[in-house]
Amino acid sequence: MDDRDDWTLTEALHHEQGRGDPFAAAVRSTRMSMIITDPTRPDNPIIFANDAFQRLTGYDRDELIGRNCRFLQGSQTDPETVGRIREAVEAGTDIAVDILNYRKDGTSFWNALYLSPVRDDAGTIQFFFASQLDVTDRIDVQSRMAREKARVETEVTRRVAELRDSLDAQRLLLHEVDHRVKNNMTMIGSILRLQLREAQDSETVDLLRAMMTRIDALATVHRHLYQSEDVTRFDIGSYTVNLASDLTQSRSDCDIRIRADLGRAEVPAGQASAIGLIVNEILSHMIRPTDFGGARVFDISSRVSRGRVELGIRFGRDARDGSAKHPALPRYSPSGVTEQIISRLAAQTRTSVSWTQGPSGSIEVTVIVDTEVS
Amino acid sequence: MNRPKPPLSILVVEDELIISMDIEMMIEDAGHRVMATAASLKAVAALPVETKPDVALVDMQLAQGSTGLEVNDEIRKRWPGTIVVFVTANPKKIPEDFAGAHGVIAKPFSSAGFVAALRYLEEGVCDPPPVSPEPGSFVASPAFGAHWG
Ligand SMILES: Cc1cc2nc3c(=O)[nH]c(=O)nc-3n(C[C@H](O)[C@H](O)[C@H](O)COP(=O)(O)O)c2cc1C
Repeated sequence: MDDRDDWTLTEALHHEQGRGDPFAAAVRSTRMSMIITDPTRPDNPIIFANDAFQRLTGYDRDELIGRNCRFLQGSQTDPETVGRIREAVEAGTDIAVDILNYRKDGTSFWNALYLSPVRDDAGTIQFFFASQLDVTDRIDVQSRMAREKARVETEVTRRVAELRDSLDAQRLLLHEVDHRVKNNMTMIGSILRLQLREAQDSETVDLLRAMMTRIDALATVHRHLYQSEDVTRFDIGSYTVNLASDLTQSRSDCDIRIRADLGRAEVPAGQASAIGLIVNEILSHMIRPTDFGGARVFDISSRVSRGRVELGIRFGRDARDGSAKHPALPRYSPSGVTEQIISRLAAQTRTSVSWTQGPSGSIEVTVIVDTEVS
Repeated sequence: MNRPKPPLSILVVEDELIISMDIEMMIEDAGHRVMATAASLKAVAALPVETKPDVALVDMQLAQGSTGLEVNDEIRKRWPGTIVVFVTANPKKIPEDFAGAHGVIAKPFSSAGFVAALRYLEEGVCDPPPVSPEPGSFVASPAFGAHWG
């Protein structure tokens, strides 16, 4: 070994001065692997390696001195990392990287390498100093975690996609079923109307018309449900107003106005048909007389109060009609199928239906749905 | 302006023949005339161009895989002045601008709802703006509604 004059640590370990230098002694015996290279020689070879470096790599000092450190690299070493070290060495800056290295026996380890230039007073680089630390355990855990994270992420992405697909399929199915239900209801309505045209006696006409109204009411329920934003809720206030306007429009023989005071009043979709039919029976029964002898008005109100959905329907004389001879409305007393539909569907949906009738004949029906229990 | 006068001449485009027959009868009960019925785009294209309907009621899902939107295009090409109203169980399938059509009647319709929609349409077509309030059964397209306002 031809040593440089300024090499105080010297060809080190065999020199007396070196042994006497406490600083050099510390470097020699520390458990941290350390080397020094000489950039003034061709290919920046190792000129000093301590015992820890020899233990770490499995090479003897004789096999190390005079060689560039790249012999520690191997097939799985990341070339990009090597490139970063090269750039640091060329630029004369320090660098800390984790790099995969190989021992003499061919086994690999993760090397947390730190290297930095050592300059003289004039700023010229005299040596490079480096320390190495075996961080295989840490890197393994890290890469295992990274792999695991990536695996979980792919799995999550896959399941989300699966879920989205099945949701799409369900939405499509719901759409298709909804479409068929609507078409069938339209068809039922059409058949009933055709039949109604053929009916001769007034009894059959009344019967078919009552059927017609009920089918129409169900159709209106369905339309309301599927045109609303939320198909799981059904607003009985707006439905009642819609139905009342349908029913009054079919009675071109009389003058009926509708006034509405609607607050949010939603019931679950599962109860929509039943409650929709109840409301239809009430409204139809109210306007059944053939002659009202004056203008009438519907007052429809809805609200939610203490977990109960309340619907108020008042049918009375229209104050705008000044004529004194305003015959009282007939008694409100549902019977037969009408009564049965109301009472049975009310029981089924935890709904209470009550009514009062004023002296002038005005009728006030209150429908209360207990939505909390159901 | 040359507005049509009642009775209106109406084209019914519907592939369910029972429903189509029902619609025809309701139109006639309301005092209007059914110019023709068609179940598909082809049937519409085969109609004589000389007789222009005042109003066309068009279902969205038609026979032979044709759609109401295609029929709408065909009608607007043949008879630019005709008022097109979709009659459909799928109102959400109609584009926001109604593809130039004028309104929609949602299926299933009630008798009263259909009649009210027809009356409203007659008022809007023959003597706009309509005097009746817009019935729940009929929704005018933004452009058509603005034209009345
Ligand atoms: C002081 C010093 C210590 C080095 N220690 C290591 C090391 O432990 N492991 C390693 O893979 N590379 C190490 N290198 C990097 C290589 O010697 C070399 O600089 C690197 O491979 C880039 O150059 P190249 O592209 O010419 O190979 C060290 C470099 C210096 C200057």
